[in-house]
Formats: sequence, structure tokens, C-alpha cells
Amino acid sequence: MAAIYRVDMSSLSVRKEEASEAYRDLGGRGLTSSIVADEVPGTCHPLSAENKLVIAPGILSGTGAPCSGRISVGAKSPLTGTIKESNAGGQGAIALATLGIKALVLEGAPVDGKFHRLMIDADGVRIEPADDLIGKGNYDTVAAQFEKFGDKIVCISIGQAGEMRCSAASIAVTDPDGRPTRHCGRGGLGAVMGSKGIKLIVMDPTGGQRPKPADAEAFKAGAKKFQAALSSHPLTGGGLAKLGTNALANVINEAGAYPTRNFSDGQFEGTEAISGERQHDVIIERGGKIGHACHRGCTIKCSRIYVDENGQYVTKGPEYETIWAHGADCGIDDLDAIAQMDRLDDDFGIDTIEAGATIGVAMEAGIIPFGDAQQAIGLLKEVGKGTALGRLIASGADVLGKAYGMSRIPTVKGQAMPAYDPRAAQGIGVTYATSTMGADHTAGYAIGANILGVGGSVDPLKPEGQVELSRGLQIATASIDASGLCLFVAFAVLDDPTAGEGVCEMLGGFYGREFSGDDFSALGKRVLTKERQFNAAAGFTAADDRLPDFFKSEKLAPHDVTFAVSDEDLDQLHDFVD
Amino acid sequence: MARVEVLLFAALREYIDGARSVEIEIQPDQTIEQVLLDLGVPLKQTRIIFRNNRAAAFSDRLQDGDRLGVFPAIGGG
Ligand code: SF4
Repeated sequence: MAAIYRVDMSSLSVRKEEASEAYRDLGGRGLTSSIVADEVPGTCHPLSAENKLVIAPGILSGTGAPCSGRISVGAKSPLTGTIKESNAGGQGAIALATLGIKALVLEGAPVDGKFHRLMIDADGVRIEPADDLIGKGNYDTVAAQFEKFGDKIVCISIGQAGEMRCSAASIAVTDPDGRPTRHCGRGGLGAVMGSKGIKLIVMDPTGGQRPKPADAEAFKAGAKKFQAALSSHPLTGGGLAKLGTNALANVINEAGAYPTRNFSDGQFEGTEAISGERQHDVIIERGGKIGHACHRGCTIKCSRIYVDENGQYVTKGPEYETIWAHGADCGIDDLDAIAQMDRLDDDFGIDTIEAGATIGVAMEAGIIPFGDAQQAIGLLKEVGKGTALGRLIASGADVLGKAYGMSRIPTVKGQAMPAYDPRAAQGIGVTYATSTMGADHTAGYAIGANILGVGGSVDPLKPEGQVELSRGLQIATASIDASGLCLFVAFAVLDDPTAGEGVCEMLGGFYGREFSGDDFSALGKRVLTKERQFNAAAGFTAADDRLPDFFKSEKLAPHDVTFAVSDEDLDQLHDFVD
Repeated sequence: MARVEVLLFAALREYIDGARSVEIEIQPDQTIEQVLLDLGVPLKQTRIIFRNNRAAAFSDRLQDGDRLGVFPAIGGG
């Protein structure tokens, strides 16, 4: 029976407990959001001892289900003030599940302000000093662990931004190559880990046991069906492996929804130079790698290894959102410079979306000019130095924008918008406005039906149908995030009914009972209800479920559109929550 | 005659020798379907079509100066 470990950083003690009845069937976002909503006071300061950082593998993580290695981290967010779940790939979820850990709950705060390492192995969880790692970036931090503990370990760590408790700090998870490249990026959860005095968690799964489905036969049949659907779909069966997520750059630009120079244009003249097609050619020419899996067992393999002109490793990916944030949003069309910034973000431990969007706001504020890649890199390096400007960059677009008296700040609930302008893709605008997490594309990826022809078709430039679209997606996403499956499986699920059947059959096999499509959406509703309840307790109201004014007043080229979904319609999104 | 710019993306670029776009002369009012067939692009491989940055269908007709953007299935996020 998988256990919940509570690590109390105030008393430096560890307690193991059995999951209560209410938590027994949950995992991933379902579990992190439930524990946070049940145990963290909505009004607490996110960096106080009252907040809790909950780390949980998905329901199916470690079972061998395809693409099921997502790890969820939850807490009250210092960036948004809302509940937050941020998930990542990497080997962390499989390691935790193999060690029989359903959730790690990090509570309290150290009285002496010191940093620690959590060592987790088959013998349990130990708290050790980590003084020697203070001030180190994620790359050096994890390299020292692999040297010390061997190559079987998996690390979850924070860089300088998390140590400084800056509100855009991320939490890094090591990939199968032992690199700290997979980040729970959004919402500043690295700052919460820093406030708990935990620099890193080292897991050695040796001697652990993979979780076993209650009905192995049914589970296996479901997994087979699911994998067959993934393999036969053009995206999950090869498209994402070949061009990566950045294949989107040209499509979103062609649709006029590619936010350019801090959301002042819908198309970027330098798109081709930073497109997925170009990125693919550069990686192949230089001997990098495409079709890389961010965790073992991922069969979609959207990740890649980016190398420099001499074939030396620079960073993973970078992903579409990262390339956009440091590229089009900053008017930068230099892929090598963007890759360098991605590396710096991962090393300092800051969310790549927030970092790029913040530099975009800094450019609009006149700190450095739009399009200047070298000065952008210089600005980012301030984070590693811990200067006042560096702390502003690591605190996100809202904080920096306010400090410089800016009014055009593309955030919702304090979190920067990702790579789709909500005026030219109004469905994603509904998701940004109403998500329980602040502006987040993954919470309800309306780009599928708005632009990509996946999961139906809803005109991106009109308000009609967007709330229904976003609602359905937000519910399904909450279920997927609980399952531990990578959200990219949705491309197959939305196109091919057998993929969704496979998912339900795997869950049914895991639990040892029938699990229907209705059960799947009930799970998502249950998660969203918990999250909305937490946000209400934290003081959020309908007035917070809005986009910044300039999206309603400034027309976006080339379509000359503003965001037109009414406030009344936005308020209908969560009509299933009591 | 009408001149249109055709942009092909991702795997579809192989049908125009790896180039990003071609400018071609067509009969006015020719359908997108016909233009793609003339270029040798298998319709089954196409998934997302834009005419002047707006979603379009195979049956839409092109005019002088139009920009056609065609993609296979694309995903990410
Ligand atoms: S599809 Fe990409 S992001 Fe998802 S699990 Fe696989 S490599 Fe990671």
C-alpha cells in the first residue's frame, strides 16, 4: 500500500502514514490539490510555515502505462495567490511510485533558515544538511549528487531563484540522462520549496517495487489499446518526435495568434528562423537528438537535445513556449541565443514562460531594447548574481511591470500568459481568464479546436462556443493531470475514441473495477471543485476571472480583433461547481 | 491569371523541394484543392489550411494576391 510521507521542516522530523479513504484513489493533481485544499489555510502567506508543498506521482505513474511519468507538485502559489499544480516529466514520478510513495508533504519551515537535502530510498526519508550546495545552480547541484550517489538516483531541486524565494522560481526534475531539464515551472513553487529550506530531494529507487495494477490482465489490455492508438495517430505516433512542440510556431504565426513584442502584434517577422522546422534542421546538422523521451516509458518523445556548433550539449528542446517567450515575445529571432536562455532558466530554476514574458515587459519598459538577444541574456544572468534587477526578473512579469510603472502586463492572477494571443484564439483566452491557476494554456488547450483542427472546430476570432469548449477541456485536463499521463496524449484521445477507452481500461485495471468515461470526467470535476473552493477561501471572486483591459481595448493585427467573450459568459465556466 | 503565394509547412515542404513557399500562377477562382493537387500535395496529409491567415476549406476559391498556408497535423503546447 503506497504511503504518504510528511516531512515537518520545523521539527526536522518525518512521519509515514497510510493514505486516508478520501485520498486512496487519487494521484497527481487530484491528490496535490485535495491535500492543499484540505490542509492549507486559503489566506496563509505562500512562503509561510502554514503552506505545504505536496509532491505526487500520477495514478498510473510507474505502472508501465505509456507516457504516464508525470509528477505533480502543488501548494498555494506565491505568484498567483491561488492553489497551484505544476507538473513535469523526468524520472521523479516513476522513482516515487517505485519507492511506494503516494505523496510527499513538505510542511513547516526550518527555524534556523538552513537548507537541507531529503534522501529517499527503500529505507524511508531522511533529512540531511545541504550547506555545501547553497548558491549553486541546478546543473552543478545534481551533478554533485550523481557523483556522490551513483547513476541510479533521481533529483528534484531548486536553483538560485528558489533559494531567493522569488515568485517565478521552478522545481527541476532530472531526465533519463540525469540532467535537471524537466521543470514544474509555473506558479513559483520553487520559492515554496526554498521557504521550506529544501534545496533538493534525492531518490534512489533501488530495491523498490513498481506499483501493481489490481487486475493485471485488464490493465495490460487497456495499455495495449492505448499504445496502438498513440502509435497510429500522426502526432503522437511520429509528428511530435520529429518536429517537437515548436512545430506550432509557424501555425500559430500563420493564424495571427503568435504574441509578438509583449503582445503588441499577432505575427512575428522572424518566425521562420525560430520555427520547429528550422530547429529540426539545426539539431540534425549539428548532431543533436530529436525524438528524445523526457522520462522512460514515453512513446511520443517530443523532447530533443540542442547542441552548439561544435556538437556540445546546450540544453533540452527548447520547447515551443520557451522559444516563443524568449523569441517572438522579445522580438528575438536567434535560436542559439534562445537555447542559451533556456539553459540559464533551467540552471537558475525559473519558469521559462514567465522569464521570457518578464524580459518582454522589461523591453517594453525600456530597460533593454526589443530584439537585443545579447542584452536579454545579460538581463537573465542578473538572476544568478542575485542582484536587485535579477530578483525582479525572477519574480515574474507582474512584479517587474509594476516596479517600472507599466500598464500593459499580459498576466492573469499574476501569472504570465503563454504563447497564444487570446484575441486571435478566444477559447484560450477563456482558459487564461478562468483557470484555477492563472493564465495557463495547459489547463484547457482550446488551441486544438480553435486552430489545429483537433477536438472539433470553433472559430478562434469569435466569442461563441468558447466557454463550452474551455469548460470541457478544463475538466478533461484535470483528469489527465491526476492520472499521470502526459497531456500530449490528448491529441490522440480527441481524435480516436479507442485512445480514451484505453485510458479508462488502464484506470479500471489499476483499480480493479469498472471505470467509465463518466468516471473520468467526474474525477476532473472533483479536482476543479476542490481548487475553486481553495481559491474562494483565498479571497478570489469572479472579478479575478478576467483578462487585463488592454486585450479588450487594443486591436490585434492582422485580424484587428479584441477579446470579446463577455464577463457573464466567463462566469458560467464553472457552472458544475456548487 | 492570378498570382498566389503558397506556403507549405512541416513534412509538406518535401512537395516543393524543401522550400518554404512558392509563388504560382493560377486561373482566378481556382479552388484550394485544385492548387494543392497541381503541386502534388496529397490532400490526406493536409490538416490545417489558412487563406490570408483565416481558416479555409478545400473548396474555397483563391484570388490574385492571396496567401495560402497549409500544414499537416500539428500539435504541441
Ligand atoms: S510527450 Fe514530451 S513532454 Fe510528454 S512525456 Fe513525452 S517527452 Fe515528455
